[in-house]
Amino acid sequence: MIPSLLIAVNFLRQHRWPVILLFGYILLTAAATGEFGRGRPVPVDIVFFVEQQAIFICLFSAFLAADAIHGERKSRRILLLLSKAISRAEYLLAIMLAVWTVAMIYAILSAVCSVWLTARSMLPGDGLWPMMFLVMAGALIAASVAMFFSTFLNPYLATACTLAFFCVPAALPAIRHHGAAWWPGYPLLAQFLDFGFRSGWTPNWVAAMAALVESGVFWCLAVAVFNRKDIAVPVE
Amino acid sequence: MPGILDYTHVTKDYGKPWSRQRVRALDDFSLSLERGEIFGFLGPNGAGKTTAIHLALGFMRPSSGAGQLLGSPFGDAKTRARIGFLAENVALYHRPAAKLLRFYGALNGMRPARLRMRSREVLRQVELEREADRNVAKFSRGMQQRVGLAQALINDPELLILDEPTSALDPLARVAMRELLLEANRAGKTIFLSSHLLSEIELICHRVAILHRGRLIKVGRTEDLLVSRDRYEIVARGAPAEIFAGSRIEGDRLVFTVPASRQRDALQRIWAIGGEVLSVNPVRRTLEDVFLELTGKGDNS
Repeated sequence: MIPSLLIAVNFLRQHRWPVILLFGYILLTAAATGEFGRGRPVPVDIVFFVEQQAIFICLFSAFLAADAIHGERKSRRILLLLSKAISRAEYLLAIMLAVWTVAMIYAILSAVCSVWLTARSMLPGDGLWPMMFLVMAGALIAASVAMFFSTFLNPYLATACTLAFFCVPAALPAIRHHGAAWWPGYPLLAQFLDFGFRSGWTPNWVAAMAALVESGVFWCLAVAVFNRKDIAVPVE
Repeated sequence: MPGILDYTHVTKDYGKPWSRQRVRALDDFSLSLERGEIFGFLGPNGAGKTTAIHLALGFMRPSSGAGQLLGSPFGDAKTRARIGFLAENVALYHRPAAKLLRFYGALNGMRPARLRMRSREVLRQVELEREADRNVAKFSRGMQQRVGLAQALINDPELLILDEPTSALDPLARVAMRELLLEANRAGKTIFLSSHLLSEIELICHRVAILHRGRLIKVGRTEDLLVSRDRYEIVARGAPAEIFAGSRIEGDRLVFTVPASRQRDALQRIWAIGGEVLSVNPVRRTLEDVFLELTGKGDNS
């Protein structure tokens, strides 16, 4: 576990600038939604802010995870890393840890911003913290699916496949009616887009738990594929 | 008895099995390294040297055959804690040298106290002690190569696998690297050294293997490879230079070489004209001669 943590911290260090830039983006969009403290934010804008951040966090996690292996292989830094006493499973776990850490900080920051916005417009902010946990689960499943695809596809295709995979139930009515509740990521995505300050919105904890389990399954699949991969072959 | 690094009939193909562009990088490759030796691994570009090293480290899997690294199958993560590896064109994270070494050492399960001590020690060995706190991104390529070597040494490995370790070094640094490798070997480390620099290999390696187009074409003790049993050098006194084509005069001595089959005849001719034979020795070649001869043969076959 310690090697995975070390690699995760190193990964975060390597990606600190895009991460900090995105944190800045949250603060900026929150400030803009709150009219830079001058006016009272409109509820529909706050809902849009929360939904946008939720989707954005999941997307960012998918991008970050999809590019991780490719970036390390392209720079050839992976060779020294995996010449140490690190298994490939530990390496993939490190990437997951790093991406999820970013997603967690991102989710907490956007929840704090959302609480500030709701307080300014006198709206109940009860749903924001449960939403934050759902977003963390969503980010985890997005990262694990993207990482799985990135073990055999380039990062762009891997991200595209991840998004397409999450949206399959939306495109196929048969799956939407019968298996959408268990389709990885889909019920969380549907819930993000359904977010509101009305009393009818309740967090879907079953979907969050399912996402955690499915993330484990996709991590195992990623390990199985990555273990068979020639990592020394240069990538374009 | 198994060696410290064993390849058994290893074949490695690149490309999809159905692809026409499939390339065979290693072909039925078998080799065994003995504990405590410095082993030189030679071959022209594309011969399969780096592929063989990457297979041992588990970066890729053989298409057929198998191998063992320190008694465990290739790719065993725990075993890698006992080796040190320096890649060709080393790529490092942009961090201060000492921190980077501690990071790589910690990945091998080393404790912080030992890591601090070892990082100072290896930085001194590669003569970068004063640069310990500088970011390696600001280092020259030669300095980065030395940091690469330092990270390979940090865990005090039993086996050092070095892929072109001197490629970016200036002549002085090469001499220092050679001394360092000899010192590591005296301390009991086995060294597997892949290099294009034949003179380096000739100077420090106990055994040498030559790889060409994925096939092992020669393996043996460096001394044995350098000594030719086909030609002999004869040094004589009191014989005229004209009687032996290609001979040269060194003071009062006549020096010339003859094929092994004509050695007896040459000696009798010297004695017949009243000359004196001072020495008869097998011709000593350079590793470059051996390398060119063997890889040239490979081209013709």
